[in-house]
Amino acid sequence: MAKPSRQHPDDARFDDEFLKKLDYLYIVSRKMAASGQRAKRQKKIVGSGLDFADYRVYSPGDDVKSLDWRVYSRTERLFLKLYEEEEDLHIYFLVDASRSMHLGQPNKWNYARQVAAALAYIGLSNLDRVSIIPFSSKVEGRLPPAKGKAQIFKIFNFLDACDAGEHTSLRQAFKTFVSQNKRRGLAVVISDFYDPDGIEEGLNALRYHRFEPMVIQLFDERELNLDFHGEVQIVDCETDEARDITVTPAMLKAYREVFEEFCTELEGYCKSRQILYFRAPIQQPFDELILRVFRAGGFLK
Amino acid sequence: MQWTGLPIATVLGVAGFVAVFITLLYLLRLRKRRVQVPYSALWGRVLAEKKRQTDWWRRFKRLLSWLLFMIIAALITVAALGPRSADEVVEGRHLLIMLDTSASMGATDVTGGLNRFEVARTQALELLGSVGGDDRVMVALFNNRVMPLGPFVRETQPLEAALRAATLSANATDFRQALSFARDSLRDRGQAELIVLSDGAGLQNLDLSEFDPGEAVRVRHIAPGERSENLAITGFNARRYPSNRLDHEVFVEVSSTFDRPVEARLELLSEGRIIETLPLELSANQVHRQFYPGQAFAGERLEARVRVMTADAEDVFPLDDRAYAVLPQARKLRVQVVSTGNLFLEGPLLLNTHIEVTRVNPERYDPQAEFDVTFFDNVAPTLPVSGDLVFFNPPAESSPIAIRDVDDEPILTDVASSHPLMRWINLQDLNIARTSTFRREASDTAVASAFGQAVIVDRELDGRRLIAVGFDLRESDFPLRVAFPIFILNIIDYLAQDDVDLMYAFETGRSVQIPVARDIEEARVTAPDGEVRSAAIHRGEAVFYTDQPGFYVLTPGGGEPVAVAANLASPEESRIAPSELQLGEREVSRDAAGLVFERREIWIWLVLLAMGLLLLEWLTYNRRWTE
Repeated sequence: MAKPSRQHPDDARFDDEFLKKLDYLYIVSRKMAASGQRAKRQKKIVGSGLDFADYRVYSPGDDVKSLDWRVYSRTERLFLKLYEEEEDLHIYFLVDASRSMHLGQPNKWNYARQVAAALAYIGLSNLDRVSIIPFSSKVEGRLPPAKGKAQIFKIFNFLDACDAGEHTSLRQAFKTFVSQNKRRGLAVVISDFYDPDGIEEGLNALRYHRFEPMVIQLFDERELNLDFHGEVQIVDCETDEARDITVTPAMLKAYREVFEEFCTELEGYCKSRQILYFRAPIQQPFDELILRVFRAGGFLK
Repeated sequence: MQWTGLPIATVLGVAGFVAVFITLLYLLRLRKRRVQVPYSALWGRVLAEKKRQTDWWRRFKRLLSWLLFMIIAALITVAALGPRSADEVVEGRHLLIMLDTSASMGATDVTGGLNRFEVARTQALELLGSVGGDDRVMVALFNNRVMPLGPFVRETQPLEAALRAATLSANATDFRQALSFARDSLRDRGQAELIVLSDGAGLQNLDLSEFDPGEAVRVRHIAPGERSENLAITGFNARRYPSNRLDHEVFVEVSSTFDRPVEARLELLSEGRIIETLPLELSANQVHRQFYPGQAFAGERLEARVRVMTADAEDVFPLDDRAYAVLPQARKLRVQVVSTGNLFLEGPLLLNTHIEVTRVNPERYDPQAEFDVTFFDNVAPTLPVSGDLVFFNPPAESSPIAIRDVDDEPILTDVASSHPLMRWINLQDLNIARTSTFRREASDTAVASAFGQAVIVDRELDGRRLIAVGFDLRESDFPLRVAFPIFILNIIDYLAQDDVDLMYAFETGRSVQIPVARDIEEARVTAPDGEVRSAAIHRGEAVFYTDQPGFYVLTPGGGEPVAVAANLASPEESRIAPSELQLGEREVSRDAAGLVFERREIWIWLVLLAMGLLLLEWLTYNRRWTE
């Protein structure tokens, strides 16, 4: 369970100023939805819907009321008629709370919870069911799906109470997540994706369990523009792994190239699997990122 | 290999400490600054691309820096031990540097300095700067005397300061004294070397083999000087004619050491005014002697100058171009003759224009009257209160010198020919009818004796001189002889201390004794350069040192000033052609080759190697070849 955290003075607060920004973002989202930039999320489920969707072969135990006898008369085979039934969209915000997200001040965690809160507010405004799940190598807690704008304060409180987790493991965390959440929906993953085991297994777990992943990769520009030179021992903040290196301008350049390569790999993976992908430095105002998400059209319905 | 540096135990102790210290610093350097990063796997990728070396090479590189430092520490440690090759002599030398400060070293025929002395001094300073740490050095200046600047010392800085303060003298050179000093100073000294920095002027035809300091002493003679052209006044004298105290004869000797004929001009000056000018044509190495007879001056300062008139000839040693002389003031003597009348005695006295003769009858004789000299002829009254006394045939009962006996027709067998009274006189075959012989006292001088019996006696009596002649002039043929007026003149000169040979001219570099009044307790001397010094008073003489040519004026306290002249007056010193020191069969080096302290200083190379390795380590570390 998430522990109460001591907020740093530099951390963004969910105050009136923040709420004003959220309202502004909500108005913007409404305009975008009206202009057709919206997602199409229709569930093909057997339900009380009126719109015919499809057939499927009858299996023992199915409700015989849904059998299409006309088709049986023609084909002498039993088919069930399927109808589309709309339901509330579940949006799951999988927010990385590992130690790498808490490094530095201001840090990525602070930025991530702002982004999560903003998107959650938009989701709640659209009457979606929003759930917040912080994770590291495991699921660090869970705010159950809730509906209605009034739930935003619960989200604020929940995010404020979250503390740093352990090391990052998307595979383990998302495996737990999919086993705990049977209701499919949009899975917004906000993370730096610094997972030594890679990101594919974790995201694939979401995909395989019919969640619709959306990736927001955060990074800190200070990680690229390092302020140390010479002989140093770098220590991984999550694994405590130490390496002795001599930081030279050439080394820094190589590091930036490797980081760019890392980001490109992640982006390439997402694009190849039609996963929405956004990358943003935490030095960028969070509302700009939100607007980019809106413009990309995968979040508003 | 031998070790001449710090003690091994000390060096090992320090080396151990340094090694530990270096290792500690190395380990501290290995403790690198820790920096937290969010994702070290990215750095892992960077390093994987950057580093291609094998693990053992990386480990070796880590150790390489430490190894270099340890090698550097080892090199410095060995350097501190002062390593030397086994065959190298490390015992300190005893170097005696003899620097010539004689007048000839002032010759300007050198390059690289103002004169020979400056060049030699520069060489001496270079030698001092190049001695080794174990060497002991003594520096001595010499001209006609030796002036050591200190004992044998290792620390050369005081010697350098003293050497820089040394000045050139105007004295001649006494090589015998200098080499005797060197031989005594280097006796029984290990690794002894004698370095003589001298132009060798004065060494010509000088046999110095007796001053060979021995086989154990290596002798070097470094002679500055390149030329020999000099024109000098090597002799300058003026003498008074005995017959006329106003007349003098002047002698000037001019020496040329030019190896070709030159024209010159000789000038004679009196009290600064030129009174004679004589053009000279001197052949190569000619010595020209010039007499100026009948010069009527007295009590004046004379100066002779010679200068080269040939346009393309240069006199490189100007110090000896001038010579000086002072003639004593001729004073008139007041002489009293107490006699009933003796023309033999009065005649020679009256002939001398510088004598004021007063004849007094014995009956009118006044002992209180003051005269410089009083002659008593056949009388011996009460002695006068002042002045010197001369008795001829004093009566036995009142003679101031006791009469021993009376001899008839004595033969003068013993004559003190060196006595001033006997100058230019021959008393052989002097006929005397009768004479008294005197009873001598211990301090008396028998000027003439007949078979041991004193006939003419010289005595000092309470600060006065008393001369007694035992016979009556009228009872001998002495007044008829040529020697008699000279004898009387000798008496006057002797008693008045007015020697015709007394020329107040001295060699530079000598102590001068000038008689002064007995009651004088202090005197001042004004040197030619105007410096005023005190003169020591000793036994009625003022003593002072002449170190430059020119006129010295001695002013006794309350007395009249007396001028004396000092000249180089050394023909040897004026022959300025550099000469080589010869010590019999002994080999004398002519240069400083091998003298400069040049040991194979291995430690310097070790330190340089250490510095090179340090530089290498720095380069490799900064290029990340080592870690």
